[in-house]
Amino acid sequence: MTLLRLALRSHRTSVVVMAVIGALGGALNAAAFVQLAGTTAAERAAFGREMELLGKQLAYLLPDPVQLDTLGGYLTWRAFGLLSLVFSIWAILASTGAGRGDEEKGITEQWLAAGVSRARWLLTRSVGFVTAAAAALGVTFAATAAAAAGSGESLALDATVLETIVTLGLVLSTFGVGLVVAQLVVTRRSSGAIGAVLVIALYELHAAARAGMDVGVLEEVNPFALYARSAPFLAGGGVDAAATVALYAIAAALVGLAALAFTRRDIGAALVRLGNGRTARASSRPSGDPLLRAPVLALVDQQRWGLAGWTVAFAAFAWFLASLARTIVDSMLAIPTLAVYFERLGVTAYTDFVGVLWFGTGPFVLSGLAVTQASGWAADDAEGRLEAQLASGASRPRVVLERVAALLVITAVVAAVSSLVVFVTTDALGITLPGDRMVLATVLELAVIFAFAGIGSALVGWAPRAAVLGLGTVAVVSYFLQQFSAIFAWPEWVGRLSIYQLYGTPLSKDDWIGPATLVAVGVAGTAVALLTMRRRDVGT
Amino acid sequence: MTTAIETSGLTKDYGSGRGIFDLDLTVNEGEVFGYLGPNGAGKTTTIRLLMGMSRATRGAGTIFGLDTERDAVALKRRIGYVPGELPAFGGWRGSEIVAYLGGLRGDVSEAEVDAVAKRLDLDLSRRYREYSHGNKQKLALLLAFAPRPALLILDEPTSGLDPLHQQEFYGLVRDARARGATIFVSSHVLSEVEQICDRVGIVREGRLVTAGPIGELLGMRAHRVVIELADAAGGARVAAVPGFEQVSVDDNIVSGMYRGSFDPLLAALSREKVLSIVSREPSLEEIFLSYYAVRER
Repeated sequence: MTLLRLALRSHRTSVVVMAVIGALGGALNAAAFVQLAGTTAAERAAFGREMELLGKQLAYLLPDPVQLDTLGGYLTWRAFGLLSLVFSIWAILASTGAGRGDEEKGITEQWLAAGVSRARWLLTRSVGFVTAAAAALGVTFAATAAAAAGSGESLALDATVLETIVTLGLVLSTFGVGLVVAQLVVTRRSSGAIGAVLVIALYELHAAARAGMDVGVLEEVNPFALYARSAPFLAGGGVDAAATVALYAIAAALVGLAALAFTRRDIGAALVRLGNGRTARASSRPSGDPLLRAPVLALVDQQRWGLAGWTVAFAAFAWFLASLARTIVDSMLAIPTLAVYFERLGVTAYTDFVGVLWFGTGPFVLSGLAVTQASGWAADDAEGRLEAQLASGASRPRVVLERVAALLVITAVVAAVSSLVVFVTTDALGITLPGDRMVLATVLELAVIFAFAGIGSALVGWAPRAAVLGLGTVAVVSYFLQQFSAIFAWPEWVGRLSIYQLYGTPLSKDDWIGPATLVAVGVAGTAVALLTMRRRDVGT
Repeated sequence: MTTAIETSGLTKDYGSGRGIFDLDLTVNEGEVFGYLGPNGAGKTTTIRLLMGMSRATRGAGTIFGLDTERDAVALKRRIGYVPGELPAFGGWRGSEIVAYLGGLRGDVSEAEVDAVAKRLDLDLSRRYREYSHGNKQKLALLLAFAPRPALLILDEPTSGLDPLHQQEFYGLVRDARARGATIFVSSHVLSEVEQICDRVGIVREGRLVTAGPIGELLGMRAHRVVIELADAAGGARVAAVPGFEQVSVDDNIVSGMYRGSFDPLLAALSREKVLSIVSREPSLEEIFLSYYAVRER
């Protein structure tokens, strides 16, 4: 029981965060449905028709748009498809934490030394996650049902329970994927990154299959495809029992496989050691890498593989979205009511659409980079690296400023490459984007990240252990404010609380107040960080 | 004699009696000062205050006349430091860690890194996560000694080192002292401090109990002795030998703390039939208890 309690304890923060994200996502979308779709049958039918046409163009991101004139159909399309991906990424982080993170901290070794078998250790950690995931999903769907009831709509209880069961099956499958990856990769950071890429690839593979691409047998075993076969909230949807059982079977098989691999590998090592045991030639001299001795660049150099990964992944995402630009825009403008809607928003030219499509998504994804960096800053403190830096003569202000500067350099590289990819890809589609505005929009992405860096620095300086949670909250709240402030007709200043809203649409419109506010937030946060870092004890 | 380290009423109060309180301490330039105390006595807290990692609740400290908090950055260029808890550098290679932290200092010679790494038999091409605890400790020693600083602050520096490399560490300390460096070394191992230190300070439950020349420690030197006799009747005779403290006789086994020359004890034992005798260095806490029990008497 002690082991299980510890397994549950390891999820205590993330389960709350995920429950809040899930509940907000579900509840806000449920409440938004009434605002968007109207109340009469005719209004809803018209809304459903238009949204289905739009939804078909967003197949790369959202499930098939079906019965969008009903709350159940709308939620299945708009909320639950994306939430399933978010919960799956949480499962990857949790599984790589259980499979590799605890090992890095020496916790696994302690328990094995105390007589706990490897299989029991991994199974208990898995049971802990099953409980945490069930709780977070339960809260998510309960909050969604409550918000629906509050808006005068209703979601059937049996459908809500079934949706929870199916989504849990998907999340456990991806947990299993992460657990297996953790046996093959030696660090938590790497296994987490590889696992996340795998999950996103599976998600997109299913999206490609939905769009008609032949992906072969993969579609039969892809957890996202199996999950999509059930739609309890749709009229006549129900649950595909075989697919749902398959999800749980895949989860059990992957956990079993991971347990087997765990029993066959050394603690602290990968199951398969690459390089035939080759080691570098013994050395007693410092590295000759000049970047390691250069301010700011030393921090960038230390993360060169991470930077390469982010650059490639973000560029690939940019190519994917940009290559769909013309098709999506043409389809949307073919819907008369949508054309009017976009005209009112001032979004008429291809440039405007690319601005919304790419530069509306890019800052949000890039803020994940900022959160990751803030997590590293907090870990520097907890794991003694900050103490080593200070003991080597770095001043506290230098540490704060270098961190922010290094994040901006990393972001600049990632953003510049992705913008170049968007520019070239759209050009090949016959969409000519203004070069000067592309540069401006890219540079202003730095303003978004500077704001995150300032807030992150201040949080790390004040309370390192709460920093990631705090910065993640800023990102999530900003996202929801951007998504829903217009729908619910909240006052303009409420929308302006969103960092993403402050970024605006620089590819087509001049708005200097938003970016100036972002820079001010960054400066203020950095100033607070300089003060808090100066005063506090290191390593606490 | 010039002062290297001086503290006045230095206090860090973590609450519940934890921390270090009203520390008045002076370490002279060029001496090796041993800072002794059991686990949890306040040694690391003192060191973190001196290094400017923690802020004092009250009182102040100076190193080479500079304030440990206000002038922390300027001071670091003159200090080599081994922390009590080693940092986690993950997948970095040893050579990269040395290049990065050496780059921050700006005064580390490659030749000196090479020399110290070879003395400690440390391969810098390997990744930090592949290092054993002992190798991590060696890397920390290399980072502290290679810049040839004027002051070395070492928190339990031999932790994890095998006896061979402990001797190499003592050699590094002797060499540093020979070139005029001051060394402040914390330990809970009495014999280690005896080997390298000129003066010692003893801290217990957050307070400095005593500070003085190493010779004073000799009065505290004691051994935990367990003697098994063939005849239980001899137990009382052995227990009565002067120098035996906290002695207990259990049938034919005599045990206790023995202080001073072993001659009287050996003379007494020569008249008995001895089955076995075990003598070990006691823990610092045991020494304190016996030492202060004697002084209070």
